[in-house]
Amino acid sequence: MTLTHPEDTVYGQVGDATVPLRFTDLSAEYKVLRERAVALDLSGHTLIEISGPGAVDFAQRVLARDVEYLTSERCMMSLVLDDEGRVVDQVLAFGREDGLLLESSVGAGTRLLAHLRSVGDDDVEITDRSADLTVIGLEGPYAWGVVGRLIDGELASLPFEAVSDTVWNDVEIVFARTGFTGEYGYQMIVPIESAADLWRATLEHVTPSGQEALELAMLEVRQPIPRLETAGDVNVIEIGANWLVDVTKDEFVGKEAVLAAFESRQGRRTVGFSGGDTVPEPGARVLAGGEDVGEVVFAVRSVGLGTTLGLARVEAGLAAAGLELTVEGAGVTTLTSPYIVPKSWSIPII
Amino acid sequence: MTVDELRAKAAERQQTCSQIKKMIVSRLDLEVEPDWITDDQPLFGRGLELDSLDVLELYVAIEAEFGVALYDSEMAVFGSISRLADEVNPRLRAAA
Repeated sequence: MTLTHPEDTVYGQVGDATVPLRFTDLSAEYKVLRERAVALDLSGHTLIEISGPGAVDFAQRVLARDVEYLTSERCMMSLVLDDEGRVVDQVLAFGREDGLLLESSVGAGTRLLAHLRSVGDDDVEITDRSADLTVIGLEGPYAWGVVGRLIDGELASLPFEAVSDTVWNDVEIVFARTGFTGEYGYQMIVPIESAADLWRATLEHVTPSGQEALELAMLEVRQPIPRLETAGDVNVIEIGANWLVDVTKDEFVGKEAVLAAFESRQGRRTVGFSGGDTVPEPGARVLAGGEDVGEVVFAVRSVGLGTTLGLARVEAGLAAAGLELTVEGAGVTTLTSPYIVPKSWSIPII
Repeated sequence: MTVDELRAKAAERQQTCSQIKKMIVSRLDLEVEPDWITDDQPLFGRGLELDSLDVLELYVAIEAEFGVALYDSEMAVFGSISRLADEVNPRLRAAA
C-alpha cells in the first residue's frame, strides 16, 4: 500500500514492519482521530491462519483468553504468552469456519509466528497470510459514518468485536467492529491485490493517520502497546494487562507463571502520569518523596493534554492516581484512566 | 509529601477501588477474584465487557453500597475502576 501514501510520508521500522509513522503532522492526525475519523494503514499487522483438525484446541492452548466458542461472527483480543508468562504478543483472534485467523500487533508477526510454530501440534497448520491479506482500519467518533458511505450502514452498528464476511466492490472482505483508542473502530481484512483500491476509496471519505497518532490515542485509554510496554523481564500483572488473560480457563501456555505472579502480590505495577516539559526516556527513575520507587516505561508528548504523558512502573503501594511524583527533576502527577475521554462515548451511531 | 504520606494516599484510593471490585464481582456474579481486576481496567466493551443491563445493576449496587446515585451519569464514569472510585469517594477527587 505504500505507493498510495503521500510523498512526504514519514516511515519508521517497528519490529519486522516498516510503517507510516505520520502522513502529515502528528498533531493534526491526532485531532482528526479524536474529533472525526481517520483511516489506518495496518499492514504492519501480520495475519496468521490457524487451521486443521486441531486448530481450535491449539488456539485454546496458546491464547490466554477463551476462544473455544469463538464463532466466525466474532473476534477477540488476547495475549499470547510464553511458558514464563511473558508477553509474546497481543493479538486479535477472528473465529473462522476452519479455524482462526490471528492478527499480530504492529511489527510482531515474525516473533508471533516463530512462537506459534515452536509450540505447534501435528494436526495444526500455521500459515502466514501476510503475502495475500492485509488490514485497513477506521477509527474515530464518526468512523461509523464512513462505514456507511464506504460499504454498508448496517455494518457500522455491529456490536463491539462482531465480525461480518461481506463484499466491497465485488471483493470478499472480513469486516469487524474493533477499536484501539476508545473511539468507534473498524477493521477490514482485504486481499492484498485489492488493498490499494480499498485504501484509495477509504481516503475519499477520511484522511489517514500514522502509527504515532494511533499509539498516542491508545495510551490515552490504557490500551496496551506491546512493543513499548513488554520489554524486559516483566509479567502480565506488572503490565496491568490482566483483562487480556482469562485465568478461569482450564489451561493455556503461561497460566502457571501468571498465577504465581498474581498470588505472590510482589513486583511493580503500571500507572499513568502527566507533567513536565521534557519527555523522559524509558528507564528514567521515578521518585516519591525523594525515594526511588520505579521507572518510566515510556512517555510521549500528549497533543490532547498539552504536556508529557507516560506510563511508569512503580512499587505496588504507589500505583494509584492523584500522587505527586518526580521524574528527572520534574513534578508529575499519576492519573486515572482514561486520560482523555473518547468523544465516541457520548456520540450514538445513527 | 514524604513517601509514607504518598503511600497512605495511594492506599485510600486502592481501598476504594478494592471495595468497588468486590461489589462488581459479587453483584454481577463474575468468576474472577476481585483483585484480578486492575484499577485502570475499563468496564465496558473491552476490559470487563459489561453490558447495558449490567450498568443498571451497577447503578443500584453503587447506591446501596456507597450511597451515591449515578443515574444518567456520563459513560466516562465507567471508564475504569479508578474513575468510578472518584465518583463514589469524593475525597479522592478533592485530593487528586
